[in-house]
Amino acid sequence: MKFNTVIMGGGLSGLTCGIALAQAGQRVAIVATGQSSLHFASGSFDLLGYDSEGKAVENPVEAINALPESHPYKKVGDVEKLTAQAQDLLAAAGIKTTGKAGKNHNRLTPLGAVKPTWLTMEDYITIDGDKINYKQVALMNIIGYLDFPTKFIADGLRKLGAEVEVKPITLPELNEARKSPTEMRATNIAKVLASEAIVKRLASEINAKASNAEAILLPAVLGIKNSELAQLLKEQVNKPIHFVATIPPSVPGTRMQALLRKRFEALGGTFLNGDKAVKGEISGTKLNSIETEKLVGTRLEADNFVLATGSFMGRGIVSDYEKVYEPVLGADVDFIADRAQWTRDNVWEAQPYMEFGVKTDAQLHVMKQGKPLSNTYAAGQVLSGNNKVKLASGEGVDMLTALTVANNILNK
Amino acid sequence: MANEMQLNNISENNFEQCLKCSICTVYCPVSAVNPAYPGPKQSGPDGERYRLKNPEFFNDALKMCLNCKRCEVACPSGVNVGDIIQKARMKHNTHSPKLRDMMLANTDFVGSMATVVAPVANFAVSLGVSKAVLHSVMKIDKHRTFPAYASQKFETWFKRNAQAQQSKYSKHVSFFHGCYVNYNFPQLGKDLVKIMNACGYGVHLLDKEKCCGTALIANGLYDQAKRQGETNMSSMRSAIAKGRTIVTTSSTCTFTMRDEYHHLLDVDNHDVRDHITLATRFLFQLIDEGKLKLAFRDDYKKRVAYHTACHMERMGWAIYSTSLLKMIPGLDLVMLDSQCCGISGTYGFKTENYETSQKIGDSLFKNIADANVEAVATDCETCKWQIEMSTGVPVLNPISIIADAIDVEKTIELNKNR
Ligand code: SF4
Ligand code: SF4
Repeated sequence: MKFNTVIMGGGLSGLTCGIALAQAGQRVAIVATGQSSLHFASGSFDLLGYDSEGKAVENPVEAINALPESHPYKKVGDVEKLTAQAQDLLAAAGIKTTGKAGKNHNRLTPLGAVKPTWLTMEDYITIDGDKINYKQVALMNIIGYLDFPTKFIADGLRKLGAEVEVKPITLPELNEARKSPTEMRATNIAKVLASEAIVKRLASEINAKASNAEAILLPAVLGIKNSELAQLLKEQVNKPIHFVATIPPSVPGTRMQALLRKRFEALGGTFLNGDKAVKGEISGTKLNSIETEKLVGTRLEADNFVLATGSFMGRGIVSDYEKVYEPVLGADVDFIADRAQWTRDNVWEAQPYMEFGVKTDAQLHVMKQGKPLSNTYAAGQVLSGNNKVKLASGEGVDMLTALTVANNILNK
Repeated sequence: MANEMQLNNISENNFEQCLKCSICTVYCPVSAVNPAYPGPKQSGPDGERYRLKNPEFFNDALKMCLNCKRCEVACPSGVNVGDIIQKARMKHNTHSPKLRDMMLANTDFVGSMATVVAPVANFAVSLGVSKAVLHSVMKIDKHRTFPAYASQKFETWFKRNAQAQQSKYSKHVSFFHGCYVNYNFPQLGKDLVKIMNACGYGVHLLDKEKCCGTALIANGLYDQAKRQGETNMSSMRSAIAKGRTIVTTSSTCTFTMRDEYHHLLDVDNHDVRDHITLATRFLFQLIDEGKLKLAFRDDYKKRVAYHTACHMERMGWAIYSTSLLKMIPGLDLVMLDSQCCGISGTYGFKTENYETSQKIGDSLFKNIADANVEAVATDCETCKWQIEMSTGVPVLNPISIIADAIDVEKTIELNKNR
């Protein structure tokens, strides 16, 4: 099977790259191993939340300049232009966000903490500085839903200057869902709240319990396929209402995965779901084709390839007792030889293994045995040099490196 | 040493790789509509930890699993969630199958009885009275239209009308037709023979073919499934020894024989597995390698939506059927979102499952209605019953679409000297 570009990995970076290339008229295939870490998404997109010293960043565009040369952002070019392109790409897929690259705002975590971020999906609560816009809020939660620790969130909101009342709400259908108490997760609740009729009843329940609150906060449990039902709820509730991120699996993340895939396929892309690249056929410094686990006997051939297989969790890189390696192409990996140095005992410290990843040259070409593969690029968390937890930089690295790779391929 | 231990220490069905991320549950069609079902993570790797300690932790709710394997496709950690659940059912479920389950499971026995008396059987199951009996006594849901039985089995037709000509071809395949082609819809088998012959391949039956056993597995008749599996494997071995690939037209039979035989039934298929393939994949791969060309009629025109059956999704092969269909110039192909139709073989036929079954399929049926198509294409026969019953839109196997669109004369001409 022949394509212009084959992308390994169907998460945020793979899909971003795929959409950008398909938009430019390329024939693209994405090989996706299972579902991606988008399912842990917070509803926000981080670009650079903290600098290397751990200080909160106000202007990520400026702060990126101060990152070490080994960071992937040093290979992406014009950050401001790319961030605008990323936000447009999301919007075209049906993911509307607010925020800008030149100035971080704050998001509220599921544990009530405040973290700097770049973009947040519309309908989510955001915080400017250290004050929330409302004096009195009702924090509502669905009875039996445990992935939303209201006490922590209420404490967090109080620190931001709001008075908070916690209000339990329910509907007969939600009560019914408690039959499997372990499965009262955000995504299963979203599947119950899946029709206009039930969302209207949810709105009445919210209105009835709102008493004198100025605004309503609700866990993000609405709209697994698109944002239409969230929109409807907003119209039906007679006070401002905002969502708060929950513990995963994440409803907005599941929705993003679905919408980005849909957009990619609508542009003519081929999405091979639940398959994985197992091997590449390389001659000299060129990758000719890859083989996948499921399409035995069919090689995927392409002019260019992109490795967007993620970090350890996505198995883009794998460790054993001796080494860290990249399993598909045997690409060069940056890691510390002494295994004792991979981790720090204090879990709150930055963990060195988080920066392990595939080596690339300045154009993000994948390195193999010290030489760049001329038609193979890497994007996203598979890249070395980024500790996304410490820097709060996950989505930004995913999208900006993916767009850079797409540009590098198109400008060849 | 440590490394070797790590490499060899892989638990059955990758059960220990589970990260407890719950992504599988997001994509389980049953969890979505039936809160009484604990979902794949809880029924699979989580429950298995308890069951290993004490079998009393086995929960009857596990029979609500459709065995659709969508949880496995979704799992980022390669856990065979569906297999863990099926294995637990096999190991711990002590209820013996009901008469109803035996009837639904024995597709070939019931099929051959019914073909003999097809007109009567079709008439009987279409009568309100006998449907009421099926519903109340047998607990087979009254809303179901039973697939009609053909009056002449595919095998009978083949032996009388086609077999003799097959030896004149220089290349050959064996055809595992399955129960559906044999008893319910011989036309699909005839379509396959038409295409293969046009491409220069002779088609042969296996020495002895038994139902693949998927319905037996679903209804708890494991020993019988295993015996039939072994018969099939030995027939296939002799076909393979003659250099023949085994082609099929059903995604579920294919998946069962390639993966479930080994994973669930302990039938040794390691030497046969890679020789079993869907006919659409067989054709696509030949074309892709430049060994075959198809020519299509100029006057063929149709708008069709493709539905990815669950086991097709699990095999990752929808790309083969859709790529082949896209080669037909007059075909306007619409891709439906991949989701379960709710029937899952015999599951949806049972009264206790009817409602769940229809709820699962609901959004698919809506998508089909919105797609404004003349037909739906899918590689699974039970999806066909479910979609036809629930939407009224005719459902075709991709092979039947190709057979309709192909220009036989031109195709023969194109492949003459290959
Ligand atoms: S089986 Fe897979 S998808 Fe399900 S919880 Fe475990 S790791 Fe996650
Ligand atoms: S096999 Fe299908 S029905 Fe069973 S648990 Fe997995 S996703 Fe759910």
